[in-house]
Amino acid sequence: MEFFERFAIPHPSPAIYAAMVAIGLTVIGIIAGLTYFKKWGYLWREWLTTVDHKRIGIMYLISALIMLFRGGVDAVMMRAQLASPEAKLLDAQHYNEIFTTHGVVMIMFMAMPFIIGFMNYVVPLQIGARDVAFPRLNAISFWLFFMGAMLFNISFVIGGSPDAGWTSYFPLAGNEFSKSVGTNYYMLSLQISGLGTLMTGINMITTILKMRAPGMTLMRMPMFTWSTLIANLIIVTVFPVLTVALAMGTMDRLFGTHFFASTNGGMDMLWANLFWVWGHPEVYILILPAFGIYSEIISTFSGRNLYGYKSMVGSMVIISVLSCLVWAHHFFTMGQGAASNSFFSITTMAIAVPTGVKIFNWLFTLWRGKIRMTVPMLYSIGFIPLFTIGGVTGVMLAMSAADYQYHNTMFLVAHFHNTIIPGVVFAMLAALTYYWPKMFGFMLNERIGKWAFWSLSIGFVLAFFPMYITGLDGQARRMYTYSESTGFGPLNMLSFIGAGIMAIAFILIVYNIYYSIRYSPRDIGSDPWDARTLEWATHTPVPEYNFAFTPSVNSSEPFWDDKKKKHKLFPGKIEKIHMPNNSGVPFIMSSIFFVWGFSFVFAMWPLLIISTIGIFICMAYRSFEQDHGRYITVEEVKETEEKLGGAKL
Amino acid sequence: MRELFPAKPVMGFVFSLVLTLIALSVYFLDLSFTAGLTILIVTAFVQALLQLIVFMHAGESKDKWAIYGNVYFMIFIALITILGTLFLLIWDM
Amino acid sequence: MKLDHSQPLEYSTHENELNIFGFWIFLGAEIMLFATLFTSYFTLENRVGSGPSGAEIFEISPVLIETFLLLTSSFTIGLAVHAMRLGRQKAMIGFFVVTLLLGLTFLGVEIYEFVHYVHVGAGLQTSAFTAMLLTTLGTHGLHVTFGLFWGTMIILQIRKRGLTAQTAGKSFIFSLYWHFLDVVWIFIFSFIYLKGMM
Repeated sequence: MEFFERFAIPHPSPAIYAAMVAIGLTVIGIIAGLTYFKKWGYLWREWLTTVDHKRIGIMYLISALIMLFRGGVDAVMMRAQLASPEAKLLDAQHYNEIFTTHGVVMIMFMAMPFIIGFMNYVVPLQIGARDVAFPRLNAISFWLFFMGAMLFNISFVIGGSPDAGWTSYFPLAGNEFSKSVGTNYYMLSLQISGLGTLMTGINMITTILKMRAPGMTLMRMPMFTWSTLIANLIIVTVFPVLTVALAMGTMDRLFGTHFFASTNGGMDMLWANLFWVWGHPEVYILILPAFGIYSEIISTFSGRNLYGYKSMVGSMVIISVLSCLVWAHHFFTMGQGAASNSFFSITTMAIAVPTGVKIFNWLFTLWRGKIRMTVPMLYSIGFIPLFTIGGVTGVMLAMSAADYQYHNTMFLVAHFHNTIIPGVVFAMLAALTYYWPKMFGFMLNERIGKWAFWSLSIGFVLAFFPMYITGLDGQARRMYTYSESTGFGPLNMLSFIGAGIMAIAFILIVYNIYYSIRYSPRDIGSDPWDARTLEWATHTPVPEYNFAFTPSVNSSEPFWDDKKKKHKLFPGKIEKIHMPNNSGVPFIMSSIFFVWGFSFVFAMWPLLIISTIGIFICMAYRSFEQDHGRYITVEEVKETEEKLGGAKL
Repeated sequence: MRELFPAKPVMGFVFSLVLTLIALSVYFLDLSFTAGLTILIVTAFVQALLQLIVFMHAGESKDKWAIYGNVYFMIFIALITILGTLFLLIWDM
Repeated sequence: MKLDHSQPLEYSTHENELNIFGFWIFLGAEIMLFATLFTSYFTLENRVGSGPSGAEIFEISPVLIETFLLLTSSFTIGLAVHAMRLGRQKAMIGFFVVTLLLGLTFLGVEIYEFVHYVHVGAGLQTSAFTAMLLTTLGTHGLHVTFGLFWGTMIILQIRKRGLTAQTAGKSFIFSLYWHFLDVVWIFIFSFIYLKGMM
């Protein structure tokens, strides 16, 4: 029995018990459902072993939406607790656990899979390829992400959540001040999913640089592909930094080392430094693909090509370099000298310039365009003013001397939500709506979509703009309560109402999905938006091999040219197509990684050693494997093409 | 037998041994910190370039621009990370 | 699979081209991995707590032996790739095996070095400096260890299946990995050991 005590939650509460019950019931429900409908074989064959970038993309998106729910519930709980002074809804410990999981879940397990899901689904189609460069590795990327997320998500019912913030600073995150295994979960789940992300980086860069259709030079690529290329370059540059930092943090907690400790020469600031060397570029990894999405959507629904293609590319390159030069602005107040702070102040302010170039290019694209106010376009237009406000407050924070006033107040919290929500979340919802018909063969309902957009925008403004004011008034972040005399009450109550409206928006989005599955017509064709780029030149649903003929590209909008200027997009004839085989190894190896992570969290060394060996066995199996894929014959291709609607255009 | 030991790798190997010996001089001779560190930096980077160009054949395929670009970019960011960290945590404290 | 006979065998298929390119990107990421270790090392280098400093524990002889072993092994894997391009399978395996043996010897010396450090009071838990030293050296050593297993598997595949596009591609990629580890060692040699003993 004593062995099992380590899995107990250190600070249980009714909410946590309820969650345990809910998780248990859901798991039982899923297993029962799969068994009753005899879908285990289907699940294994079509989803668990798939190496198809489209399926993998969809799995990422489903995971992201589920995690959006979890992170959102965390947010609503926090806002409820802070809505009135000295509320008793959450005690300090629970509040700490909730803001920690909210941050980690939203950034690592919601935003990242959301953008990676679209990168996976869309980029090969946009460049006219049949899959990514390394389909097997792609599957491993997804399952490692999934297992990392699962590991993190069970922490609050087995062993305890991390509670040292999503930034997990030392010495707070060390054993002395964080005694539960929560921070171990943090270190290991991020490590596992980080490995998956690094592999995605390698995969996407190789795919984009080596697998474009003939005629698609770099400067003819769609903007989303460009943004993906650059974001993945940042991924491969900075994720190794996180790998090392997390390893050192794990060692401090489990092997008694003194990297970040307060004794024996350790330096706690080294953690913060390494974390932000990764952490700042991370937010640019999130925003650049979002910018790419906006470029696609704004140009499609303005009926014009994107204004300033070259400066769009150039600005993203500059942003990626600068993003690696600004990290210290996250800890201006931590004791380094004026020269350091000044340098990082200047670089931080400089990064606003290329971003501004992009905003103006979008505005110029809209100017005199034939605007269609669809749901994706609404999100894009809402993004422009809201994100600009967030960016401007960023420049305020960038002034290191002034930052002594703003640092770690609600002003900061407002700034980063003001950039991430209109920046990344709006883009993801816009992309979801925009690409939904390509992925699933029907449209999401426009009316419900517009309600969701307006609720989200209004809710967002109500929730976060008051925080600018309370932050300037002195309300600190990560504080579970405040006294009545501070006067923070009314604005916090307003924030809570805003959060509630955002929750309604989420419910509307989910309802939209349900409603559309039931009622949306299924005969929308393969180009419902009258779009411009290659991914829309495929059938709906997209066949396994994407394109029957290799496309021939002569401009940055090959599909538009095909439609309007009679450029022949698909010259040549059908040949047999080489496709990779499905494989169970990615799923199996990642499951072993889950066991590895779990045993590491609880310092169960024998199990750790066994699972490590298991991982290496999977790798050795792969090395000796001789699987050269299969061929889809010309007859099969012709059959599929005819079934899906004949030769394209 | 001769063909198994082509000139370029052999010369490269000899050169890298020479560079190592030069680097060793900072241990055996009594140099100032700056002088010693300069020798180490120069020999290390030259040897790294040697490995990259002669042994790893970085320049021999049509991907060489992407490969060189990637490596130089990483080295650039690596230097920024190292120097920036030292600046923040050790030198400007 | 179409073979491009104008190219060396390892570049001759599109799949190999992709694999080699992807591996170069991976090496770029590894540059940043080791850069982070070096960053942390230089930050914690002088924070010795109550434990010894580098100058007190480093010994030039094992370091020189390790350096010579790795440099030579980098040379021999280069010769292996050259032999592979000439189609000389037996010579290639020979050079490959020598490479791995040199790597194994390197590991042996490094293990001896670690044991020695622990004996003189510089263990993993002693101080920030010792933790960082052993972690940096250890990460490199683990990479070498992984390489030994990987290389062995490739040799087994060559013996079983001969020099095909696949085995040639894998061998070339392995040689990139091995050369990279040598480059990392050069930096360890220069900026950890020699700098610490100046």
